[in-house]
Amino acid sequence: MKSHFAFAILFGFISTIAHAELKWDQTTLELHPGFGDKEAVGHFKYQNVGKTAVKLTSVKASCGCTVPTWKKDEVDPGEKGEITATFSIGNRVGTQVKTVSVQTDEPSSQPTVLTLKAVLPEGITLVPSFVYWKVGEKAAGKTILVTAGKDYLAKKIEVQTSNPQFGATVEPVKGGGSWKILVTPLQTERSGSAVITVKTDFPKDSPGVFYANASVAGGLPGQGPTSVPRQ
Amino acid sequence: MSGIVARQILALCAVALLPAIGEAFYFRDKIPWQTPVAASEYATLAMAESWGDDLIWVDARTDAEYSAGHVPGAFSLNEDRWNELLPHMLERWAPGKKVLVYCSSQSCNLSRAVAHRLRTEVQIPDVYILQGGWEEWLKAHPK
Repeated sequence: MKSHFAFAILFGFISTIAHAELKWDQTTLELHPGFGDKEAVGHFKYQNVGKTAVKLTSVKASCGCTVPTWKKDEVDPGEKGEITATFSIGNRVGTQVKTVSVQTDEPSSQPTVLTLKAVLPEGITLVPSFVYWKVGEKAAGKTILVTAGKDYLAKKIEVQTSNPQFGATVEPVKGGGSWKILVTPLQTERSGSAVITVKTDFPKDSPGVFYANASVAGGLPGQGPTSVPRQ
Repeated sequence: MSGIVARQILALCAVALLPAIGEAFYFRDKIPWQTPVAASEYATLAMAESWGDDLIWVDARTDAEYSAGHVPGAFSLNEDRWNELLPHMLERWAPGKKVLVYCSSQSCNLSRAVAHRLRTEVQIPDVYILQGGWEEWLKAHPK
């Protein structure tokens, strides 16, 4: 008797799933945008396999960077459609996972969570991406290590600082694929800051640009930062 | 008979575990918000207010949300325009200052991601996440 009860629970669970009318091809997509891509677009396709129309009552993304779009709210029996999720990459790095929650008017239906996983290409990493000196500290150079990602085939980099009060020089590291940027402030008596622009030669048609920051920070009470306007 | 039931229960548990195992495998890459945030990385509003001028507020929400209202003096820093916004915040940063990142408590992965990048990429110390986020601040400072 007890074994029948256990199987009844299992079959009840399976039959609940089987009665869902909106059937999704995939609820998880993995995208691999290229270098320089501004967005990643996922297409979540569905079909109404039930005998009645299904209405999409709510479609919400997990963040403002992902915009879901769809053609119509009501899906007739047998009709196919898709929800397009457009993820704006912005200045994000690494692997990004965004979700879109879809609620329908199917009785007792739970929201379907569509997952968009965007594996962003690894350009170059700057460690650290910020170097600083305390006001009054010795104006010795500090190093930023630049490393190209696995598929990022940059052969050389160039650096520029937005503030002439900071100098920056590049030195390749033996073995290739990495460089050292030596940042040196001309003085550390007053606070100031600079953006260090790192230009690469890859990809050829749209070379990558990356940024680091430098600052002389702190100072005596009442001595506010004297930032130099950036270019 | 009880042995059969026990085996069936075990089989059901194993079936129930499969989706979790699959998810753990699929999301195996290190993603900031997956790692539970340590309690020491959070700061309460009371702590923040006790830090006075040694505190820099960072708003990790979208530009539109920031424009609609933010903590007075907070810098906007989100991943949509990270490269553009970060220098403004760093201009005001100095050793010894604490950085408190907040977003809406409804979507607080944003502050986690921003705090994570400030700690690991920018490598500045004393970066915290506001417990309760923007809504907590609003509750304490009703318009």
